Amino acid sequence: MSDTASDLAETQAAFMRAILDDGAPLPAGWGNRQAAGMAVYRGNYRSAVMDALASSFERTARYVGDDAFRQASMHHVISHPPSHWTIEAVGAGFDATCAELFGDNPEVAELAWLEWAMLEASSAADHEPLPAAEFAAASADFADDDWANLKLTFTPRSTARIVEHDLAGIWRSLDAESDNPAAPSEQGQRGVLVWREGETPTFLIIAPDNARAFMAMQNGASYGDLIGLLAGDNPDGEAIQNAAMKAGGMLGEWLNEGLVLAFET
Amino acid sequence: MKQQSNEIDVFGGFGLGFRSAHYSDFLDAPEEERVPVDFLEVISENYMIDGGRQLRILEQARALYPVILHGVSMSIGSADGLNREYLTRLRALADRIEPLWVSDHLCWTRTSAHNSHDLLPMPLSEQALQVVCDNIDAAQEALGRAMLFENPSSYLTFPGDEMSEWEFLSEMARRTGCYLLLDVNNIYVSAQNHGFSAHDYLKGLPLDRVRQIHLAGHDPATPERDIIIDTHDREVCDDVWALYADAIAMLPGPVATMIERDDNIPPLSELLSELDRARGIARESLLEPA
Repeated sequence: MSDTASDLAETQAAFMRAILDDGAPLPAGWGNRQAAGMAVYRGNYRSAVMDALASSFERTARYVGDDAFRQASMHHVISHPPSHWTIEAVGAGFDATCAELFGDNPEVAELAWLEWAMLEASSAADHEPLPAAEFAAASADFADDDWANLKLTFTPRSTARIVEHDLAGIWRSLDAESDNPAAPSEQGQRGVLVWREGETPTFLIIAPDNARAFMAMQNGASYGDLIGLLAGDNPDGEAIQNAAMKAGGMLGEWLNEGLVLAFET
Repeated sequence: MKQQSNEIDVFGGFGLGFRSAHYSDFLDAPEEERVPVDFLEVISENYMIDGGRQLRILEQARALYPVILHGVSMSIGSADGLNREYLTRLRALADRIEPLWVSDHLCWTRTSAHNSHDLLPMPLSEQALQVVCDNIDAAQEALGRAMLFENPSSYLTFPGDEMSEWEFLSEMARRTGCYLLLDVNNIYVSAQNHGFSAHDYLKGLPLDRVRQIHLAGHDPATPERDIIIDTHDREVCDDVWALYADAIAMLPGPVATMIERDDNIPPLSELLSELDRARGIARESLLEPA
């Protein structure tokens, strides 16, 4: 960095500190006029990032109420000041902030995770999923090793996780036309799968094993690894056969839902 | 003077910002009832994405109207230089949309660590001017085209300022070959906040470099707050209309004029009515294109 840029960098760093932190000292030589102007910039910054969070997490805001959401948003932007050029990115990690702040209501963090995953899916790269029939034709001559080594590429920004609450019910109850956000009802582990179907982000509640299988293969596990994962420790022949059938069912489901982009053996 | 990457032709139309509340008005009207604007301006960053519905909507709009890409996050005044990923994405969007031009603001928005997502003021010094010009050269080279830069509203000035904003803009345009987007409301707001003459500002600019004008509303000063805030959330006030008329009369030729509303988006008919007022003012100056 040149001396010219270095001097300016110091000025801008001090300015930014004053925006992010009310308690930060104003740059040297500033008077009341600059302090009044800085108050406007601080206000602009806060309303911009708070509005961005409210826009990205409309359902979470409705679920917890305006005051609680505002407090959570303030906490989030103080602990995670934005660094990316797109303001929407300030929502990254908001589910973790919700997990920290709404410890007695863990469904809040799950709901925030789902909203973020849906938002991410909405702007994923356009893609043509692999037709199930095309995979069926290509795999008709697979040898055992081909199946064992089979790896899948899923559609961009598809994701899955395990949750403990009825997110589908909570999500529906928070539709704009609904007046009564649902209290979390039945608890118990289930999986959530998020992807974009055409232009529409969508999610599906699935079995926990299915979600774990999806995550494993998304992280590079082969189809053979998947069968081993589903068969458990020290499996006998029947367990392996059952695991293979289960894996086949999952693969069919992913293909039919349009989640598979490509494969390799 | 650095060789400019490209000339930007004069385009003398009247347009509006393309906001989600009006997507259907613009895209779904039958051809004979198409919204009477000459161009649409979009916020570049909203479309610098990998894919999805938002991009398809922009492509639909582009099929019907010329489009201007107007950015808010290039941070042309950053001492830390420009963000390469940002430029790559903006270039890809410009190549895809083939806009009339690409614009951003004379401001900085980020340091190497954080982003304010606000248009922060530049110190008006020779040092800052050199940083801005170096960054504009880099941006125009990366984009393969000349850009427009807009004068921002500002709420403070730096104690060590060495020149006026119009002197800064003039020298910036001379050194880099960039063009200017004149926000008449922003001139008015800054003039009120800092006590300079809006007419001195206009007179001090190289008006042949202006290719576009923005018109917008602001939040007036109050007894508790003597700073005017540029909100872009209400109709253009009479003082700004008068300044627009002065600017149009001073310009050497036609420029693109746009009503810029970013918040409290009203029905489209209200914005079209304001745009008609702009057309009328331009017509009176005999500058409206045939």
